[in-house]
Amino acid sequence: MSGPIDLSLIVHTRNSARTLPRLLATTSWIPERIAVDMASDDKTVALCAAAGCRVIPIAPSPSVDEVRNRYLSLATSAWSLVLDSDEFLADDAEQQVRELIGRAGAAVDAIEIPRFNYLGDHLLRAPAWYPDKQIRLFRTGTVEWQAGHHRLPVVLNGRDRLASLTPPDCLHIHHSNYRDLFEFVERQARYAVTDTYDGAFDFHAYLAKAYAELDLRYDPAADGDLSAALAILMSWDRIVRGVLHWERIGRSAPLNSAFTLPVVAEARDAGAVAALQDRLAAIENSSSWRITAPLRWLSRALAAGLRGRRSS
Amino acid sequence: MELTVVIPSFGLTALLRACLFHLEAGLQAADISRYAIAVVDNGSVVPYRSDQFPCDNLALVRLDKRTSFSRACNVGASSSPSRRYLFLNNDVLLQKDALRDMLQLFARPNVAVCGARLVYPDDLIQHCGVRFDAGPRGCYHEYHRRPSSSVSRAVRDFQAVTGAVFLVDGDLFGSLGGFDEAFPFGYEDVDFCLRARQIGAAVTCSQAVDSIHFSGTSNQDPSRQDASRAVFFRRWANRFSIDGTISE
Repeated sequence: MSGPIDLSLIVHTRNSARTLPRLLATTSWIPERIAVDMASDDKTVALCAAAGCRVIPIAPSPSVDEVRNRYLSLATSAWSLVLDSDEFLADDAEQQVRELIGRAGAAVDAIEIPRFNYLGDHLLRAPAWYPDKQIRLFRTGTVEWQAGHHRLPVVLNGRDRLASLTPPDCLHIHHSNYRDLFEFVERQARYAVTDTYDGAFDFHAYLAKAYAELDLRYDPAADGDLSAALAILMSWDRIVRGVLHWERIGRSAPLNSAFTLPVVAEARDAGAVAALQDRLAAIENSSSWRITAPLRWLSRALAAGLRGRRSS
Repeated sequence: MELTVVIPSFGLTALLRACLFHLEAGLQAADISRYAIAVVDNGSVVPYRSDQFPCDNLALVRLDKRTSFSRACNVGASSSPSRRYLFLNNDVLLQKDALRDMLQLFARPNVAVCGARLVYPDDLIQHCGVRFDAGPRGCYHEYHRRPSSSVSRAVRDFQAVTGAVFLVDGDLFGSLGGFDEAFPFGYEDVDFCLRARQIGAAVTCSQAVDSIHFSGTSNQDPSRQDASRAVFFRRWANRFSIDGTISE
């Protein structure tokens, strides 16, 4: 391969010693590596320094995405690659990135890369988790992150300057997301507690998203029973966020109005609503479903919503 | 390192596990203690995990984008430099004594490449050496699809052997620049053997035992070798010896 690649890596770290070695090993071909460290007290800083990274110490922040923009300008290369500390690349990444940058020409500012997500040893294959494309490779200065957790960054010159890789036969980001479901729940709770809730409060929207999460993430053909667990947890996460948003606005909206559910509004007639109710009841009564608490909750909420509509 | 085993592989996780199980028995029988196994995950849709393969000294080399067999082999070899390399297909179940016999053949003067005698699951010969005839097929597998019991076990030298099980001297492999990556799939092994013979290395094949080669499990496209074949004939037409024809 010819000459050093014109690329900077930016990684944000916070007590990342467990996952960092793999990231550092698989990015050693990148000439400039910048570790923005949020007051780690494990071996993170020593690992980064030993690997030749430039370490920028900063104060801890509950949301990495919020502070990313402040440090993107540290990159001195024409292209930047942003990775999280629990991510890594494959052994052919250098060749793939060189080819991508070479092909980008003048028309492309940023490249969306598919991501493999793992829970423990399990690669999550359902469409909700894969290809999970991430805007991480871009011309320096052409992408900005938004406040909050896991929100898509913005390509400043417009999305038509974004190229997207087509999986599976292409560069991927490999992401060891969670060791197990305990870590999953712990992290989702932290994200929910530290997220920004600055939009208009609409609990209906949170409930609709809860349904959407169930529908999107339950895919036993791809991920077996784990998909049920994750669908329920992600659905529940939406409800939790709705309640936290309500708390953030000073409990100033009548929360029980949420029981006039969006599914009622979307349903054209009472028959369709009843059919949905029957479906939820069938799921609730099915012996094959063991973990149905959120569904039961939603079913009851739906019933309450119907009662409210009938009495009004 | 005494030996690095390189296994380029795409999917077929369970078959790869069986391949590794047989390989470990072969390594033990050959009394090799200082070895490495480099499994090159050549763009498997679901990436391999090391815990799927409970083997000693195994390292996964992950390629996100599927590449040629030749390049995958070269990447695997460069990941663990060694005195000798054994290139092994993921659909080969090595007979326990195969590797030991191959290493013994390496004691013969000039031998720098050694193949293995391979059979299909029905005991018909898949490979026991590569010959060349004057017809359009060029190189072909000697005694292909004959019952193994009817094929001599006398050791003989060849112009080439298959890369499905391919033991090669590390210095020779390095000095020839590994397999030529101009070959997308197939013929890189024959090309390497011919280049090795050009500098005086002998190519032979173990005949003592039969290992199983399912063959074509990762890629069953009948035209899969066409592009490589074209490269091969552009380079080698009229430049190899004619061994003659053995009809199947």
